[in-house]
Amino acid sequence: MIESFQHLINGFGIATTFQNLSYCLIGAIVGTIVGVLPGLGPIAGIALLIPATFGLNATSAIIMLAGIYYGAMYGGSTTSILLNVPGETASVITCIDGYQMAQKGKAGPALAICAIGSFIAGTIGIFGLVFLAPPLAEAALAFGPPEYFSLMVFGFIVLSNVTGASLLKSLMMSIVGLIIGTMGIDPVSGDPRFTFGSIPLLGGIEFVAVAIGLFGIGEVLTNVEKPQELLDEKVLVPRLRELYPSVQDLKKSFFPILRGTGIGFGVGLVPGPAPVIATYASYMVEKKVSRHPEEFGKGAIEGVAGPESANNSACQAAFIPLFVLGIPFAPPTAILLGALLIHGVNPGPMMISQHPELFWGVIASMYIGNFVLLLLNLPFVPLFANILRIPKRILLPLVILFCITGMYTVNNSVFDIWMMLLFGGLGFIMRKWAYEGAPLLLALVLGPKLEVAFRQSLMISHGNFGIFIDRPVSVILLLATGLFLIVPMARLMIRTLKKGGER
Amino acid sequence: MKRDEWIGGIVIFIFGAITVLLSLRMPVGTFRMAGAGMFPLCLGILLMLLSSCFLLKLLLKGKKRADEKEQATELPSSTRQLVLFFGAMLLATLLFNPFGYPLVAFLLMLALLRILGIKRWSLNIIVSGATAAGSYLLFVQWLQIPLPKGFIGL
Repeated sequence: MIESFQHLINGFGIATTFQNLSYCLIGAIVGTIVGVLPGLGPIAGIALLIPATFGLNATSAIIMLAGIYYGAMYGGSTTSILLNVPGETASVITCIDGYQMAQKGKAGPALAICAIGSFIAGTIGIFGLVFLAPPLAEAALAFGPPEYFSLMVFGFIVLSNVTGASLLKSLMMSIVGLIIGTMGIDPVSGDPRFTFGSIPLLGGIEFVAVAIGLFGIGEVLTNVEKPQELLDEKVLVPRLRELYPSVQDLKKSFFPILRGTGIGFGVGLVPGPAPVIATYASYMVEKKVSRHPEEFGKGAIEGVAGPESANNSACQAAFIPLFVLGIPFAPPTAILLGALLIHGVNPGPMMISQHPELFWGVIASMYIGNFVLLLLNLPFVPLFANILRIPKRILLPLVILFCITGMYTVNNSVFDIWMMLLFGGLGFIMRKWAYEGAPLLLALVLGPKLEVAFRQSLMISHGNFGIFIDRPVSVILLLATGLFLIVPMARLMIRTLKKGGER
Repeated sequence: MKRDEWIGGIVIFIFGAITVLLSLRMPVGTFRMAGAGMFPLCLGILLMLLSSCFLLKLLLKGKKRADEKEQATELPSSTRQLVLFFGAMLLATLLFNPFGYPLVAFLLMLALLRILGIKRWSLNIIVSGATAAGSYLLFVQWLQIPLPKGFIGL
């Protein structure tokens, strides 16, 4: 442990050299700008700027790219709050209450609490990394396909409980997302599935197209269909003194931030799309422990503070499976892995001993990056909040243009724009019929991994489903899943019986 | 609303059924050695089951509340505006490659602003021009993103 601390101090020494500090700052600024532009998220941001790091040494390059990652995550939250357009999946949950807060004139506090929560999560996370990283990284190695499968099923049920009024509708959306996720090449046998002879579909449905379509385009179309009078309706723009969170807001956010940090860190260490699961789990916990759960979905600050802290904390912890196992579990870390390989670094169990300056330098730079983001973003809150002053008749076409441009830049493909429009239409219909987009999106991301885990588990057990209950971690996760399914149903039944009794 | 719920449930059921049919055309295999069709087949069946539960729930609810009349006083929605708006987006996507990014960005903004009721041409042209130029400078010149040049070659 003392050794880890010593390494971390050395890491700070590396991260605070003028050169690395500059790259961290550039990364955080560029990342924020990229994240704020609707349509461009961390994936596109990192991918676009990898060529710019070719002239740098590996440590500086990864420090800059990690800065872009963090900056874009924060920027993504900004667009989630202001425009209901998530930059990436982890900010989907921020849309739920963040956007509602913005509509009620509390965009400033929502944005500020994101920055504060992220910073606190980063601060606690760094200590967690030093003390817990080595033993937890070993524990994560013990996760096999059955555990992954149960963990992901747990994630779906948690999410279905969190979003929307109807558990059944959310579950159906999860299954639809999983089916859409099976499009493309079968990950095990290599057979094409549901491609209808289309070559672009062989690569599967682009996640960004679905995200921007369901949330960005869907929201715009819903606004466009509204009667003319509602289109002229002004969103409440906060006055200067309302731009920052009040003492009451900070008090309300304190424990959600701490809980979010804990959840995020724990989930982040488990290989999987950690930030996504962490934000949903945090939101679920906050809703459960809140004295006013009915406020969630209508602009509860706890619904922004918890998930945003969880997001940041999970991102930080998720670097451990990436660096230690050499396996990326989310698209942005996959691109970072690509960047590491380009710079001649092969992540794996030997990385900490072979490249300690890189591992600890990047860990330290994450903390510095968070501090830079806090300094950068708090003064810019008024600027970002002013986006809401733009009349809707001008703002909606602007969002569309940025969505189309952003979508094209991901793969330089017009096909992706068509897909985005298709899912935009679907998002619009789903809103009309009161179906939630978040379960579909999460299922789309997790689907291929869920399928591989499912099939590998059954291969290991020779087709015996008992494998999922024979292993302790898996059975605990499945029992927890069962609880999440049974409790709301039991509650509903009791309520119905009570109502029947009253009559 | 009630009708929407029914349509939604039926559409999802049909989606599940189509998934099952298409999955059966692929190699399904056994649980021990699952083929490409196994996972989507299971998902399709599960979706059909869930949507059946949903429809059954609606049916039971409908019987309970048969005497309750729905009272909806909604403002008239702008369906025409929506169709034109979405149509403009489709047309812009169609012209994205042949016309090039700057021109499509300008024309799309011009059309969308007009559809949303910005009737003054001067304001419309200024906003569209500034947006197209700004996004061109940002994406093409600054971020060096290769966007379609089209016949104008920009």
